[in-house]
Amino acid sequence: MRHMLRFATAATFLCGGLAASARAEELVLASYGGSFGEAIKACHIAPFEKATGATVSVKLNNSSQTAAALRATKGNPDLDVAFMDDAFSAQTNNEGLNEKLDRSKLTNAPDVIPTAWGKNDGYVVTMVSATAIIYDPKVVKTPPTSWLDLFDPQYAGKYVIGDISGTSGWQFLLALNKIKGGTLENVDPGIAAIRPLAQGSTVLYTQADQVVSLFERGEVAIAAWYPNNAAAAAAKGLSLAVAYPKEGAVGILPTMVIPKGTKKLDLAHKFIDQVLSAEGQKCFSERAIIGAVNTKVQLSDKVAQIVPYGETLKNTWFVDPDIVAKNIPNWTRRWQREVAR
Amino acid sequence: MMKTRTGLMLIAPLALVLAGFFLVPVLMLLPTSFGEYLPGSGMTPGVWTLENYTRIVTDDYYLEVIWRTLGLGLFVTLACLVLGYPLAYLIARGPQSWRVPLILLVVFPMMLNLVVRSFGWIALLTNRGLVNNLLIDLGLISTPLKLMFNLTGLMIGLTHIYLPFMVLMLVAAIQNVPRDVESAAATLGSSRIHVFTSVTLPLSAPGILAGSILVFVLTISALVTPRMLGGPTYKVMATVIYDEYMQLLDWPSGSALSFTLTFMAIAVIWLSSRLTKRWAGMA
Repeated sequence: MRHMLRFATAATFLCGGLAASARAEELVLASYGGSFGEAIKACHIAPFEKATGATVSVKLNNSSQTAAALRATKGNPDLDVAFMDDAFSAQTNNEGLNEKLDRSKLTNAPDVIPTAWGKNDGYVVTMVSATAIIYDPKVVKTPPTSWLDLFDPQYAGKYVIGDISGTSGWQFLLALNKIKGGTLENVDPGIAAIRPLAQGSTVLYTQADQVVSLFERGEVAIAAWYPNNAAAAAAKGLSLAVAYPKEGAVGILPTMVIPKGTKKLDLAHKFIDQVLSAEGQKCFSERAIIGAVNTKVQLSDKVAQIVPYGETLKNTWFVDPDIVAKNIPNWTRRWQREVAR
Repeated sequence: MMKTRTGLMLIAPLALVLAGFFLVPVLMLLPTSFGEYLPGSGMTPGVWTLENYTRIVTDDYYLEVIWRTLGLGLFVTLACLVLGYPLAYLIARGPQSWRVPLILLVVFPMMLNLVVRSFGWIALLTNRGLVNNLLIDLGLISTPLKLMFNLTGLMIGLTHIYLPFMVLMLVAAIQNVPRDVESAAATLGSSRIHVFTSVTLPLSAPGILAGSILVFVLTISALVTPRMLGGPTYKVMATVIYDEYMQLLDWPSGSALSFTLTFMAIAVIWLSSRLTKRWAGMA
């Protein structure tokens, strides 16, 4: 009897083991939602699943939610690979939550611009976007050329800027601060300059797509917003145009990290390799209207006019993510107390 | 009389669930609230500080948020009481045939998801929302009223959402008031109003207290509705805590604020139960 029991147990284990290996491996990806998420699905997840036979399950998070999740599940993450903006990747990297990326496992690593790699290869920049000026050319006849154009009295009550909780919020604050003579250590001039603007803004948007309906209903004519979101809305028939201010747009760098402790290390590297591949980057750039980091990618004219590219890219300000991570709580607290109050 | 042991056994399942899933996680936050957070590098291990708490009482922004939260809790509770008592009275003392439909109407909104209900209020209250458009079309106002991102919006949304809790509590309490006592008072020459104010109202005090505590605590800890109707500028404690945790990643500060909120809730419950007991002559 005992013999039979042992046999049965062994057989169960064996069958279980076989079933597990036959089942496709699952990779958990934290990604932003909206048009970004759809483009990730079409350009990266679909070819990745086809090539590896693994399945990707997507968790929709913004950067700070992913960073909070990584800290909460330190060492035993329930995410295998994640998108985060560079300041948050720098933060989790400094907290020791990021796996060092193994460039030898990334066949496309040599084609990526050298500045894409984060400190100690703790993360890699996968695309380039920006905060710039978006306007409705039906209302705004002369294209804006400066961040200060948002102050033009003719747009009083007809403009919108983002809350500091979103990327465009602190980026526009920093851009204004620089124009007014401030530095990254001293944002007093920026805080003082942005207060009247924030008080008069139609709303302080917290979700990028909130701005779409504001333009749609004609509530605003000009905004500090994202070219890729504007292009997606314009493709659906909205009258929108992108202007890069002469003082420079502020660059947004969505990165990828592998959380330390994931059991899918190889698979996660393969996914990042897919995201960095020339085909993947080309597909994603054209679809989501975002700049690429793979030097082999040639953007179409349509995309090149919208994303930071060539002259506008050279002029774009990329703020050191470590400095942003260090200062953003302070900027946020000052914003809450001195700007939005 | 029930034996103590039987009583303990009866509450054991709930007590265990509360201890395991509420008390222990909350206590685990306690050390965090004394931790030090350095933006850019994370929590410093082994460093303990009171600063997270002292900052709450010295920073006038936090104080403003705390007073706003308490004021909101008070206003919403009063609004629910004033709106809910007549309705509860009608349900408890009105025609029998009205009871079920009325209770269904009270409970019905609770079947909808909180996000959906809050979003409904956004559609109604926003600058170009239903209410403002109607008033503008009628020529009553020329520029939209500010109904969102301020006290008005939160009051409207939260009162609507928590009214059912108050009404259900009050119905049970009013039903428990013996009709005989009211009749006795009437026989002794009391007017209907006097019967209500000196008999029915004090005897339903336990229900008023329970409903008020429930609504108050739910209001000061509400997150979803204040986030949606308060927006990025009109913050209450729950939304500030959420921001500290999820946006600034400053968990020590968020934990300290959470404990402050918890202590405030406990203090208010304790205080109000003492006051009500005295008022209802139960002390």
